[in-house]
Amino acid sequence: MVKSELMPKKLRFTAARIAISFALVSPAVAKDVVMAVDSTFTTMDPYDANDTLSQAVAKSFYEGLFGFDKDMNVINVLSEGYDVSADGLVYTVKLRMGVKFHDGTDFKADAVKASLDRATNPENKLRRYALFSNIDQTGVVDDYTVRFTLKKPFSAFINVLAHPAAVMISPVAIAKYGKDLRDHPVGTGPFKFIEWRQTDYLKVEKFGGYWKPGYPKVDGIVWKPVVDNNTRTAILQTGEAHFAFRMPPEQIALLKTKPGLEVITGPSLSQRYLSMNVRQKPFDNPKVRAAVNYAINKEALAKVAFAGYAVPSDGVIPAKMEFFQKMGPWPYDVAKAKQLLAEAGYPNGFETELWSAYNHSTAQKAIQFLQQQLNQVGIKVKLTALEAGQRVEKVESAPNPDTAPVRMYYTGWSSSTGEADWAIRPLLAGDSAPPKLFNTAYYRNENVDRAIAGALNTRDPAEKARYYKEVQEQVWKDAPWAFLVTENLLYVRNRKLSGVSVMPDGNFHFEEMELKE
Amino acid sequence: MNPPPAICTSPAAPTDSIRTPWAEFWRKFRRQPVALVAGAFVGLLVLMAIFAPALVPFHAEDYFDYDALNNPPSWQHWFGVDPLGRDIFSRILVGARISLAAGFISVAVGAIVGTLLGLIAGYYEGWAGQLIMRFSDVLFAFPGILLAIGIVAILGNGMVNVVVAVAIFSIPTFARLVRGNVLSLKHLTYIEAQHSIGAPDWTIILRHILPGTMATVVVYFTMRIGTSIITAASLSFLGMGAQPPTPEWGAMLNEARADMVTSPHVAIFPSLAIFLTVLAFNVLGDGLRDSLDPKIDQK
Amino acid sequence: MLRYLIKRLLGLAPTLIIVAVLVFLCVHLLPGDPARLAAGPDAPPETVELVRKDLGLDRSIPEQFLRFISGAVRGDFGKSIRTRRLVSAEIAERFWPTFWLTFWSMAWSVTVGLAIGTVAAVWRNRWPDRIGMVFAISGISFPAFALGMVLMEIFAVQLGWLPALGAESWKHYILPSLTLGAAVAAIMARFTRSSFVEILQEDYVRTARAKGLSEPVVVIKHALRNALIPVVTMMGLQFGFLLGGSIVVEKVFNWPGMGRLLVDAVEMRDYPVIQASVLLFSLEFIVINLIVDLLYGFINPTIRYK
Repeated sequence: MVKSELMPKKLRFTAARIAISFALVSPAVAKDVVMAVDSTFTTMDPYDANDTLSQAVAKSFYEGLFGFDKDMNVINVLSEGYDVSADGLVYTVKLRMGVKFHDGTDFKADAVKASLDRATNPENKLRRYALFSNIDQTGVVDDYTVRFTLKKPFSAFINVLAHPAAVMISPVAIAKYGKDLRDHPVGTGPFKFIEWRQTDYLKVEKFGGYWKPGYPKVDGIVWKPVVDNNTRTAILQTGEAHFAFRMPPEQIALLKTKPGLEVITGPSLSQRYLSMNVRQKPFDNPKVRAAVNYAINKEALAKVAFAGYAVPSDGVIPAKMEFFQKMGPWPYDVAKAKQLLAEAGYPNGFETELWSAYNHSTAQKAIQFLQQQLNQVGIKVKLTALEAGQRVEKVESAPNPDTAPVRMYYTGWSSSTGEADWAIRPLLAGDSAPPKLFNTAYYRNENVDRAIAGALNTRDPAEKARYYKEVQEQVWKDAPWAFLVTENLLYVRNRKLSGVSVMPDGNFHFEEMELKE
Repeated sequence: MNPPPAICTSPAAPTDSIRTPWAEFWRKFRRQPVALVAGAFVGLLVLMAIFAPALVPFHAEDYFDYDALNNPPSWQHWFGVDPLGRDIFSRILVGARISLAAGFISVAVGAIVGTLLGLIAGYYEGWAGQLIMRFSDVLFAFPGILLAIGIVAILGNGMVNVVVAVAIFSIPTFARLVRGNVLSLKHLTYIEAQHSIGAPDWTIILRHILPGTMATVVVYFTMRIGTSIITAASLSFLGMGAQPPTPEWGAMLNEARADMVTSPHVAIFPSLAIFLTVLAFNVLGDGLRDSLDPKIDQK
Repeated sequence: MLRYLIKRLLGLAPTLIIVAVLVFLCVHLLPGDPARLAAGPDAPPETVELVRKDLGLDRSIPEQFLRFISGAVRGDFGKSIRTRRLVSAEIAERFWPTFWLTFWSMAWSVTVGLAIGTVAAVWRNRWPDRIGMVFAISGISFPAFALGMVLMEIFAVQLGWLPALGAESWKHYILPSLTLGAAVAAIMARFTRSSFVEILQEDYVRTARAKGLSEPVVVIKHALRNALIPVVTMMGLQFGFLLGGSIVVEKVFNWPGMGRLLVDAVEMRDYPVIQASVLLFSLEFIVINLIVDLLYGFINPTIRYK
């Protein structure tokens, strides 16, 4: 008899749960802008974020002393300028007046000190610690002046302060939330943080007390992580989103035919290359590496794998990067490639492995394309698209450079600080081989190493440019990589939305965001 | 399953009613036109898979035409061209080898190991049997694909590891099936008779119990191939199986995702290939079951 | 009955412990350094070490195991390596979408499957049977991911009838649960049919017919109940299939559920999340089977719980 009572009760309970779960549906607020992005956010503490996306979203509510404009030039944000001491060790920064945090606190020098002291304290175990570890101390000169003292001269220090990680956090919030700051961001930005539901959305609303009069021009933003490419394309068409970033290049042709949507493309800092392990045969022979470069038709690669939304690399670093030196592009010449292979002692080519650092569809296409191209000159490659764990295991953690299993490696890089040092040193300096950094070619050249160090230590732009020119010329000549393409930025917005753009490094600009009815 | 010879040679029995199990099976099976067609299709598929390299009009991996990217089906390219300029028809044909081999080998391994374990577990009900059944319970406590994902994650991507994973999760099903059969067979008179004349265990198991379980195993084997092809394709679809440019059907579908919106044919043909193949195995399995199961007699 | 239930619940513990140990070992067998992954694609080595310490991954394996087990017993699964949020919070957010997805898939597929199977058995070898079985065998032969892709393309993108993204309203549930349930509906239909066909040949059914009872009464009152017993077992088994299938379907529909959480966690080597969600998956599976066993007795009073 117990049984017969048990079941209906259970059913009633179930029915109630169902009713509740469907009643909770919240109707979308019409005036909010819905921004669809390609992966989930990891944290709302920019000092603890290692992904550009989380930092981009954090710009809704956080601002730094400096920032980058659309062309990646450093601009003042919460500062009004700076001075550097002659020895390059002391930076004095003037702060903007009349700025308030979302919790009502005034933005003053103590907030700068609290934010950066938190970042430079290794006890806090923040993921961006290394970026700020060169700061010896942050001092308050007066309410609106701060002084940074560095451990050693670093010419790109203002770029560090302009980095999306270097934001100003309310000192009250730091004291109040401690480790939970990641879920309770309190900044000076145009929007106040409302709610973050990890898988669904992150909501922000207009901050009435924002220092820039007349801003922001929309009532709020809903940031939606939509991982699947096809879904992101679909919700743009159904109107469920006003904006979507990263778009699969294959579907751009289709989206261009939709009258309500606008496809925007531009240069990016994201480059793709094929590194070759120069410590191993046959890649120790420069002729083989040159042959590989000649064997690949980069124009066709851009067409096949990127649907035309990429340009052949014409240098070691992306063209939009400061101190870029134009060298190429490397010509496509199968006959020359075969001739070089023959001269190197491989008239019939050779067999090797080609790994990809990614396993998404664009990378899958790119490596299959590379395989087809290399096959034309007799180089037979076995492909493996590594998933993240395998990549770390096989490539990034390989303990011994002499036995590292990596041979040809399709990968890419996007300098997260937007400056040349971080685009070159982690990938090409002799000391940057895994497991330390990402020199997967195990390339080492004394001239290059000396020039990289020289550029890092000088503050004279002309001298710096000279160093970087030397580096790029040498690397291009030695060709530890096959220089492939620089991807185009690709994003789509609804024509009702204006004032949103994506910067070459994948960060967003949305101060001018406006939504027409 | 061997009928006592006395009956076969008995002059009293009219010859047309003498039926070996094989003849009995064939009598029932050939009355099922759909299953016959499915069987023929599977046979054709196997032949095509074996001779694929000789049959394909274009090389499945090395041929490409960058001026024909995503072209729809034509006389030259029957199933159209894929996003890398390859001939989809050739890739599907070569893919048949991979999918069939993956389905067949994984189930074969699962069936052999599972049957052995099932025989032991059923025959020796003691601690060995208990241990085997606990083990299969634990395997059962994971949804199959979850187990496969785990195994592939540990062993690494690739078709071989997918086959291993699918084989492992086929084991407990076969073990249970066979154990159930053994438990019911074991107490039959002819087995007890073997015991009483002192036949060794393994003789009893292999010569007398095993044949009795074969019908079930064969039917289940056929059905399971379909499931395994789908599972292997699903793993490839999740990016854990076949590596590019291997034309495994699931991997082809995964690759087609980006282009299917604009060029549906790149997704349609691999889907159809999986569907028809699995369908054929399932229909064939149904037919086999109806022909091998003595309880069902369609008159 | 209550004693049986308690006994069965106690019996859960050893299986779960074995699963927990296996999962812990397997997770640590996964290639790839989670600290490196968590630190991000361009992190310098100092950051990686910092992260490793913060996550407790610098401790020895036995020590980590003790921490995991003692935490798990108290329901504390630690913090996610990727997001640094509590694993319990992470899972709580993802649990219900998957639960409801599985629930609705099961609900429609069992109803439809039973209906098709019954109709097919009653009109055996005639056209309703033929049509029903063509559907059924097609259902088990079409891979879920392909079906999902097709449904989404047609109904969400081309026709625009249903939303493509999210798990917010009942409309969002239609396409994924259709996709997920299709194979189960097919299996249930086939299974119900064969179970019914056997029952309809039994003596007591013939007796009922001989008594002059009308065919619907015979089918519903006498046959259905008995035909249901094996069907219910099958349901339990299929639940595991659904849980597994949800992993693939969630990937296709970008569903914010446990399946995607798990796949992402495997990708990022998020040990605590993998451990907790696999445990939860197997717990669910075991509990479902327990419920199935109880339902047995509900349908067939001759079964007594010992």
